[in-house]
Amino acid sequence: MSEADPVLLNPEVARPYLDRGGDLPALPLGPEGLDRHTRRDLLKEEMAIAKEFHGGAMWPYAVAAFSCFAVWLAFFPLAIMGELNLTVGFVLSCIFATGGYVTSHEAMHSNIGRPGEKNRWLNEAVGAVSTIPIVFPFSMARMMHLEHHYHCNDPVKDPDYTDEAPNALWAWYKTWYNRQPGVDGSIHHYKRILAGMGTPEAARALKETMLLQLVFMAVLFTMAWSGYAIEAGLLWWLPRHIGLSYIRFYLSWAPHHPREGKTGRYEQANIFKSRLGHVLSMGMETHMIHHLYPGIPNHRTRKAYLALKPVLQQRGVDCSAL
Amino acid sequence: MQAAVRGLFSWMPLLFGIGFIAPLIAQIMQRLDIPAPAGISPILFGLLIGAPWGLLTVVRGRWL
Repeated sequence: MSEADPVLLNPEVARPYLDRGGDLPALPLGPEGLDRHTRRDLLKEEMAIAKEFHGGAMWPYAVAAFSCFAVWLAFFPLAIMGELNLTVGFVLSCIFATGGYVTSHEAMHSNIGRPGEKNRWLNEAVGAVSTIPIVFPFSMARMMHLEHHYHCNDPVKDPDYTDEAPNALWAWYKTWYNRQPGVDGSIHHYKRILAGMGTPEAARALKETMLLQLVFMAVLFTMAWSGYAIEAGLLWWLPRHIGLSYIRFYLSWAPHHPREGKTGRYEQANIFKSRLGHVLSMGMETHMIHHLYPGIPNHRTRKAYLALKPVLQQRGVDCSAL
Repeated sequence: MQAAVRGLFSWMPLLFGIGFIAPLIAQIMQRLDIPAPAGISPILFGLLIGAPWGLLTVVRGRWL
């Protein structure tokens, strides 16, 4: 519905006025009770505030991505040589697998280097290495994530809609269930969407996904039959599963639940309080800011939210959690 | 080529059962000093678990 549409035709909006026996307001009001001039002014104010939080130093994302990937790679020869404490290696691998999505996510939105900028290669390189531990090629991750933004909470077009679950416990279960070979969820769902897209980019992403999965299996099988199955399991296989579940829960289910019908600009994601806090939930408490302004880097969304809070409240956004 | 790879992926749980689960079971047993039943080797025991489990997953579409 455009700003100029006669939204008062909506009986839910009109009823309070009619019940009081009064006239309808002179200007059509939106569902949040604001006329279009107020909405436009608020949007201008919102955009001016958001602009202050775009950009900033992005090199820490690149440093984190490359150093974590290098350390994780080094774990394999070190484990084979018996020089690695496997418990430490396992815990760190879980952190790298999970945290890698955050650095990759910035690259998906070209926040490290936009097309045509001199840092573009860095953006692409950060994206490429970050999601290798979860066996999720950057080409596919970027395409599917952008589809998620374009069609957020659309049951058919949002690739992440399969993460929806009635409560947190079910959501955790679904993070595992959706990865089962015969279930159309998670990466299987992504592969099906890519195959249906039929574009050269989708074909490339599909090819890279298959290649990375084959490399993953080849490494696991080779290590396992060479006597290093436990090492392979603790450094790649299990961290990948833990990372994927954590990412699915905190980056997909928690900030978007409940998804049904929440396709409007200010309802696609929630402001919520995580039991694990802002950092361990990977900044997802203020994921709504990311959906409003994907150019704001992850580490600045909380401050951006606090600055935008009064405007969002006027918009009718529930900001009671933070 | 793509069809061949897709075919390979449809059998991946069976390959995973043989290629990863079987040696993983065997090596965990050796690490914990648990003998395989009926005097068989740990890797054979791992294969007896991993291969049918993988095959069942190919058929059912779920690991559990």
